[in-house]
Amino acid sequence: MILTLGQSLVNAILLSGMLALVALGFSIVWGVLKVINLAHGSFIMLGAYITFTCWSAFGLDPFLTIPISMLALFLVGYGIQAGIINWVIRAPLLVTFLLTFGLDIVLVNLALFVWKGDVRSVSPAYAGNGFTLFFNPATEQGIQVPYVRLAAFAISLLLAAALHLFMSRTRLGRAIQATGQDKDAAQLSGVRVAPTYALTFAIGAALAGAAGSLISLMQPFDPGMGGGYRLRAFIIVVLGGLGSIPGVIMGAALFALVDVLVGISPLAPLKDGVAFAMLVVVLIIRPSGLAGKAFY
Amino acid sequence: MTSRSRTASFLFALTLLLAAGVILAPAARAADPGGACTITFGAAVSLTGATAKEGEYVKNGYDLFIADVNKGGGFKVGNQRCQVALKIYDDESNPDTSAKLIEKLVTDDKVNLLLGPYGTGPVFSASAIAEKYDVPMVEPGGAGMKIFTRGFKNIFGTLPGAPSYLKSAIDAILAKDAKAKTVALLIENDSFSQEVADGAAAYVKAKGLELVYSQQYPKGTKDISSLLTAVKGKNPDIVLGASHLADAELVMKQAKDIGLNAKAWAFSVGPATPEFGKALGKDATYVLGVTPWTPALRFKGEDIYGTPQRFAEAYKAKYGALPSYHAASAVATVIAFQKAIEAAGSTDPAAVRAQLAKLDVPTFYGRLKFAPEGIIVKPMAVIQWYPDGEMYTVEPADAAEKPLIYPAPPWTAR
Repeated sequence: MILTLGQSLVNAILLSGMLALVALGFSIVWGVLKVINLAHGSFIMLGAYITFTCWSAFGLDPFLTIPISMLALFLVGYGIQAGIINWVIRAPLLVTFLLTFGLDIVLVNLALFVWKGDVRSVSPAYAGNGFTLFFNPATEQGIQVPYVRLAAFAISLLLAAALHLFMSRTRLGRAIQATGQDKDAAQLSGVRVAPTYALTFAIGAALAGAAGSLISLMQPFDPGMGGGYRLRAFIIVVLGGLGSIPGVIMGAALFALVDVLVGISPLAPLKDGVAFAMLVVVLIIRPSGLAGKAFY
Repeated sequence: MTSRSRTASFLFALTLLLAAGVILAPAARAADPGGACTITFGAAVSLTGATAKEGEYVKNGYDLFIADVNKGGGFKVGNQRCQVALKIYDDESNPDTSAKLIEKLVTDDKVNLLLGPYGTGPVFSASAIAEKYDVPMVEPGGAGMKIFTRGFKNIFGTLPGAPSYLKSAIDAILAKDAKAKTVALLIENDSFSQEVADGAAAYVKAKGLELVYSQQYPKGTKDISSLLTAVKGKNPDIVLGASHLADAELVMKQAKDIGLNAKAWAFSVGPATPEFGKALGKDATYVLGVTPWTPALRFKGEDIYGTPQRFAEAYKAKYGALPSYHAASAVATVIAFQKAIEAAGSTDPAAVRAQLAKLDVPTFYGRLKFAPEGIIVKPMAVIQWYPDGEMYTVEPADAAEKPLIYPAPPWTAR
């Protein structure tokens, strides 16, 4: 039992890093652009397929494909924001909601067309290898820590830290924050809003691309994989409080812990239900999220 | 344009269309050579969506058989030979769409008879429409018993019932190791998998094994490591999965991640398709799958292929890869219709339905005979992934290409 709990705790910690990365891009787009990007899951899916293609067709190590999918998704994100969403950015929320919903459908079906509906998996030779903590020779059991998940955890935290530094220390990052706080005031102070929006959206997409690359190493996927992650991103962002990097990490950690603990309990079939119940409870007690109200 | 003139032009267009129909229809009929006829089947199959791959196999099966049978002159109906045609739509893996399209096929396209979609969900809703219009449907891809327990007369299925899926795998394991004791069961939360699991759980108990863990998880789960962690705590001899392809891959991938070992792994759906080995690589090794059909089985049939091997060759020649059981099952549905139409001497739905119920013919797919509720009576074969990266039939004994490897070594010893 102790072993099961210990393993679950390790699972939860490793999962939380990946989930934080899934939610980060969603969070900055929502926080700065006030756009709930329903195509976020598709960006993650595209990241996974870019890694899959580079790995299966060119034999590239999956971890080395992360910069490729980040760059590709950055460009896709910039293009979509500058070319499409910026046109309706001042329209009511429902318009961008519908637009990104439509984009999601288009991207999923494009992926179905290009890669087919097959379930794919990225399995380099070292997939599944790891080391064991607290190994008990009598039962031959211990707490298993897989290398791939550990690396994914580290990369997620690194990217979160890099984003934090970018947002707080660079001119561009501060321009993004200013635009997020008040786009008219930012414009009056000389910030060009449209390119700033495009840049923010592109960064969000690039983070989704990185998340997709990492996810492709951990589980099988198909073009419909994004929906589940969009939902998780939404829950995590609302849990942690909109527009705060530490908030996203906290939200992800809480989500991962609950997810894993419910998973080993008899409530396992109700996992998604429990996650939403948690969301409702947090919204009742702390309507602005766990980390309170903050802004990029 | 005013609404009145819009109505007027609509009526005008409609009149033209109707007129064209009257003028052209006899001409079209006259273009047929004397006595020749066409039997049109209708089908809605998942070409996109969650089960796009399985749907592709089913469509390939339909297309291949119909092309091959037409080359040989088509179906024999009474004293004449009829060409066979297929009208096929994409149901997007969605049961509601499937039902809508079947309705369109019957009422708009006026097809003669219906072939089935893939998946218990789409078949369940599509067969209700077939029943409503009293058109027989033979389906290759729905194994859930709930399809067959509604007292419908028009639904026949060529996959064995879900509750029997894992039985032959359990038997194969017990034949190797009578001392295997403990079983863990992972169940995807959908009706087919639930039936598989109920059947497997009852069988496990009947065989004197102990079910130490049995847990449902939500459909579409992306991370199953917490359930596997709980399984690891129980240290079972056998891990059974009642689920579909993506879940089977997920379980194996994450079992290795967290170091969950078992002497045998078996899944209801997944391992029997080539994608399983492609996706998992060497981590697919030792996994057992069940399938109603493999190219290695030894059947002698009274159909245009005759043996599983000859069907596999024909399929490979057209599509460049070996067929999965989905494709074979799809072909079997059309063969069932062929035999029933030939016995009835007509394509009249009632006559064909009566012959389907009485059908008992040997085919490359095995014996085609339906139980009174409409589902085929057929044992499952067992396959295993071998260290050489190939999948081999290990059960039944007369068709085994290789012996079953047991126990599977722990991950650290591979």
